Amino acid sequence: MKGLHGIIFSYEERGDLRELAEIRSASSIPFGGRYRAIDFALSNLVNAGVTDVGVVLHGRYQSILDHLGTGKVWDLSRKRGGLRVLPPFNSRDDWGILPFRGKMEALAGVRSYLANIRQDYVALMDGDLVVNLPLAEIYESHVRSGADITAVCGNDSFQTADGTYFEFSPEGRITDVLFNLQRPRGYRGLDVYILSTKLLLELVDDCAAKDQYSWRRDVLQARKDQLRLCSYIWSGFAAQIRSVQEYYDRSMQLLDPAIRADLFTPTRPIRAKGADKASTYVGTDGCCMDALVAEGCHIEGTVENSVLFPGVVVEAGAVVRNCVLFKETVVRCGASLAYVIADKDVEILPNRTLMGHATYPLVLAKGSVV
Amino acid sequence: MKKECIAMLLAGGQGSRLYVLTGDMAKPAVPFGGKYRIIDFPLSNCTNSGIDTVGVLTQYRPLELNSYIGSGQPWDLDGSTGGVHILPPYQGSKGGTWYKGTANAIYQNIGFIDLYDPDYVVILSGDHIYKMDYSLMVARHKEAGAACTISVMEVPWAEAPRFGIMSVDEQDMVTEFAEKPKEPKSNLASMGIYVFSWKKLRQYLTEDEANPASENDFGKNVIPAMLGNGERMAAYRFAGYWKDVGTLESLWDANMDMLSPESGLDLRDESWPVYARSVNAPPTFVGHSAHLSHSAINRGSVIQGVVENSVLSPGAVVGEGARVSYSVLLPGTVVEPGAVVEYAILGEGCRIGRNCRVGGTPEATAPAPWGLTVLAPGCQVAEGRKVAAGIMLDRNGEEVSK
Repeated sequence: MKGLHGIIFSYEERGDLRELAEIRSASSIPFGGRYRAIDFALSNLVNAGVTDVGVVLHGRYQSILDHLGTGKVWDLSRKRGGLRVLPPFNSRDDWGILPFRGKMEALAGVRSYLANIRQDYVALMDGDLVVNLPLAEIYESHVRSGADITAVCGNDSFQTADGTYFEFSPEGRITDVLFNLQRPRGYRGLDVYILSTKLLLELVDDCAAKDQYSWRRDVLQARKDQLRLCSYIWSGFAAQIRSVQEYYDRSMQLLDPAIRADLFTPTRPIRAKGADKASTYVGTDGCCMDALVAEGCHIEGTVENSVLFPGVVVEAGAVVRNCVLFKETVVRCGASLAYVIADKDVEILPNRTLMGHATYPLVLAKGSVV
Repeated sequence: MKKECIAMLLAGGQGSRLYVLTGDMAKPAVPFGGKYRIIDFPLSNCTNSGIDTVGVLTQYRPLELNSYIGSGQPWDLDGSTGGVHILPPYQGSKGGTWYKGTANAIYQNIGFIDLYDPDYVVILSGDHIYKMDYSLMVARHKEAGAACTISVMEVPWAEAPRFGIMSVDEQDMVTEFAEKPKEPKSNLASMGIYVFSWKKLRQYLTEDEANPASENDFGKNVIPAMLGNGERMAAYRFAGYWKDVGTLESLWDANMDMLSPESGLDLRDESWPVYARSVNAPPTFVGHSAHLSHSAINRGSVIQGVVENSVLSPGAVVGEGARVSYSVLLPGTVVEPGAVVEYAILGEGCRIGRNCRVGGTPEATAPAPWGLTVLAPGCQVAEGRKVAAGIMLDRNGEEVSK
């Protein structure tokens, strides 16, 4: 049938996410005050009318499984189709311990699932991409262009960990596929691809037969002359959550209204699991400015230039500047934090001072007590 | 499917004393506390008390309420046996009528209750803000071997004449009931929450219906009839926070109480969560020139101005240089830069133009009579307009009387 099917790859970290990825895959990293990274890919797909989505998992997937649930939040809990969770594909003795080799291997591992895709086209996305793409429009432009594969690119050559970069001809046809670049050039790939289901199956089978496992090397790079590879340039906000630095910088960008307007455009809402919490309360002596604040927080101290997830407590006299505090972080009275990313359930005891720097934010692992 | 206990929630009232706020929706659907609707409280109480079957009796403008309740999923009331059911009046082979009173509303749904063949039925109101464990009340009912158990709370003696007052014996069994007595014999007020043994209630509802002189009301007819016949009527004492938010002032009060957990209304207590169907919106942004003090904010808001002692619902926008104090902003209200809003309730989607002044403090208004300023949902106040304290505007921005 006509239409688009979604496949999201939820892998272990690709760059350096330090403690943030100790207990989860990059796609379930909290972002933007109430989301998980994968909420963006899922919402992009659902907003484009996609009804069937497969999520390919690898290691440390407890957190993502818990987050996805039945897919109800994205209206993907359906009788027919809907969310399909595809457990680890690396089924040799110790899956999850062996490093992940590539997308084509992942897809070969779920070959029977691919064979049952009802839709004629597939969108491949990565779970660590934070973006709000007009995917319906990209899909239409793919079909119209007659391309074999459309790669969505950011309008920059921003250096991201393990990034893929494209060079194209003036007509938008991809002429080169680059990665492992010391100095990125060309356009940054967002690792969002649209192709026909038929072609995807052919490529998966062909690669499997040759023990090829890499999508970008064995498909894009190796077949760039046989296949018609086209690009779609997205000029809006697009973050790939692949290192602590990128995580931090991108989080801080959300304090810019123009970026929020782009990422949270009301016509394509990003859906996320709700937290059954009361409203956020700011006390008489609380001071809160330039901050993105989720519900259920309790602020009696000072919060500036920060992102607060649900249920964060900032007690009287505590100061939080340039921080990202995950769910249920507690900053006790008189404590002072700057350039800190605190994972869930962290507690900062009274009068402690923690300072990172814009170029090296401190990361506090989940549940730690300082 | 047999259930030991089910709940019936009376949500059909117009709530006329909320005036413009209930112009388009039933009272239980009115937003509360920056996140909730009034009906979230009884529904959450049910689910937290282990009651998984709830009939919601609707009549007045039910559309908003129907779509809000939906499948009941936010309250975990979407189980495969039971769940939440919307019960509007319906037609039978001999025609049908509107719900004539609270008792008649239940009478008309005897068929629904019989589907579950319950031992006990809990009767609830859709206009109270409180957290209560109904299972304790049912336990009290069983223990007392009562036909009916009435939830009561102590009120100040001076206020007792405003309530239905219960006199009790030393076992806390009800001996007398007086509706709004001039000279109260007790200060135990009925909270309008009842547990009945279903067989008894079924019998009394049928008798009540057959009596043409009856107003078909629980408080006025059914309870007095049961007392008169010497049925065992137990009182269940409730000590926590409880507020009937049937008036604009009490609705405003309850919102303010939410800001101070010392009031007894602690919504952050996770052992008894109040669930709501929440809107999907990004977190709230608090800007550089914002100043928030003793206030609550929810999702999707952008705050650039001053917000003091106020409750802001999702999607509220307060522009730079604007000031909102002692006010309740319902979802999607916009206060443009430079505007001042004091002691007001702004309905959903209101827009206060630049440099408007809406409402006023009791001090500034004195000696003239003071009141809350209330704007109907969708009301647009043009730039620079002054809306004095105590004024109420309809959705076209025209003054209406309270």
